[in-house]
Amino acid sequence: MPRLRVRLRVNGVEHELEVGGGERLIDTLRNRLNIKSVKEGCSTGDCGTCTVLMDGEPINSCITLTAQANGREITTLEGIGRPGDPHPLQITFAELAATQCGYCIPGIIMAAKSLLDRNPNPSGEEVRWMLAEHLCRCTGYGRIVEAVLEAARILRSR
Amino acid sequence: MRELPDFEIYSPSSLRDLLEYLHGDGRDATIIANGTDLLPRIRRGELRPRRLVDISGVRELRYIREEGGVIKIGALTTISDLAGSHLLSHSRYEAFHVLSRMFGTWEIRNRATVGGNLGAAASSEDLIPIFLALDARVRLLSLGGERVLRVDELVVAKRRTSRRGDEVIAEVSFKSLGEGEWSYFQKIGRRRTHIIALVSLASYLRLSPDGVIEDVRLAFNRVRGKIPERAWRTEEFLRDRRIDEEVISGAERVLESELRLTSDYRASYLYRTEVAKVFLRRALRHSRDMVLGGVESVAEA
Ligand SMILES: Cc1cc2nc3c(=O)[nH]c(=O)nc-3n(C[C@H](O)[C@H](O)[C@H](O)COP(=O)(O)OP(=O)(O)OC[C@H]3O[C@@H](n4cnc5c(N)ncnc54)[C@H](O)[C@@H]3O)c2cc1C
Ligand code: FES
Ligand code: FES
Repeated sequence: MPRLRVRLRVNGVEHELEVGGGERLIDTLRNRLNIKSVKEGCSTGDCGTCTVLMDGEPINSCITLTAQANGREITTLEGIGRPGDPHPLQITFAELAATQCGYCIPGIIMAAKSLLDRNPNPSGEEVRWMLAEHLCRCTGYGRIVEAVLEAARILRSR
Repeated sequence: MRELPDFEIYSPSSLRDLLEYLHGDGRDATIIANGTDLLPRIRRGELRPRRLVDISGVRELRYIREEGGVIKIGALTTISDLAGSHLLSHSRYEAFHVLSRMFGTWEIRNRATVGGNLGAAASSEDLIPIFLALDARVRLLSLGGERVLRVDELVVAKRRTSRRGDEVIAEVSFKSLGEGEWSYFQKIGRRRTHIIALVSLASYLRLSPDGVIEDVRLAFNRVRGKIPERAWRTEEFLRDRRIDEEVISGAERVLESELRLTSDYRASYLYRTEVAKVFLRRALRHSRDMVLGGVESVAEA
């Protein structure tokens, strides 16, 4: 199959890659760019585990072709904070023990980030609606809601 | 690990380029918009296309405008675009507003397109009943010109449309809603944010100031077959009547005799029929209350 030349901006860094038509964004991120926060659950758009931001909007990287992300800006968990300088969501998820096995968390934090970018003061109800679309088999969601609301408070006070 | 089979993909950057490709080499290519229907199907092995034409970069197909009392929606418009459009912000476009709670997930709504919903041609596609209820027209473009079809002329059977290989679904349009008109959508599935509607009803009503139904269109996800259709006989029964409890009961009986639902592993036909009747009752009461401004009977539902 002919290869395609694709330009992606991932967490602020430009990449130029040659990909096959069937290559999924999740595979490009994990296998070529070594971005391992992006996790695969269902592979069919149902669970939210693979969520990344494309031009600031949450999307499922398991059902997005890399060829279709050409020219777009992709943000993953690695792009919103670093160990010495974490994003408030990364702080509150750790401090409030909102994660257990952690598998679902990168997807949830990316959706939460996008929610807070749009709405710095969401209600608990709005956060729960966002979470209704992400499967977590461990936490029971309660602390995740608290962690998102707490991060919103920190961001507003900055 | 869970890669897709490889295929050829061509990504035209303009409508002209797309139409030329479809006219020539790309006649048998499978169109991919944002892939939220197609890619899961390829993964599940239901489809094995060799060649895709990626229309997601054809920017000319993403718009919502109003011209001469007609709302026009480009095929690449997403569900999130519909929800955010000021042209559809009036409460009488409620059918579109409820989608932000009932259609897929946030991630899916950011990607799922209007053209892809029609192109997927299944009873799980929520925009098909909504556009049927709005009596929408679908514009197909090819190098040779255009065809304008009703939704039921486009979606002819489960997973089958009447689109020719050299055509692309370019636009959906319907008359803007005005005084006395109301659109509504209801759906029930197994999980709130899940794809498959067990039962859904998109409704359009136009009422006179004293509550007589001047026009009505009711499109369920299933009526007789496995694609969304209108409940013509129920509509006919309702036309020119005033919505009261007696008329509602009468309409439910007509609907029950009109529906030819079947049972499957998701739900029995009895359950589906019962829910369809409840949706009909709610659509009539709700639209009446919203149009006439009274809210006293909302609680009855
Ligand atoms: C988790 C999940 C939840 C979902 N929930 C819902 C839901 O609640 N309600 C619902 O209705 N759907 C739902 N869907 C299905 C899907 O999101 C919709 O069908 C969506 O509108 C498809 O748009 P798309 O751009 O992704 O289409 P694609 O997948 O790109 O295409 C779908 C089909 O349409 C054809 N096509 C696309 N665009 C055109 C065009 N312009 N001209 C001609 N043919 C075209 C393609 O060839 C293909 O056959 C869900 C999907 C997932 C994965
Ligand atoms: S892995 Fe992408 S949504 Fe589940
Ligand atoms: S923390 Fe384990 S799945 Fe969510």
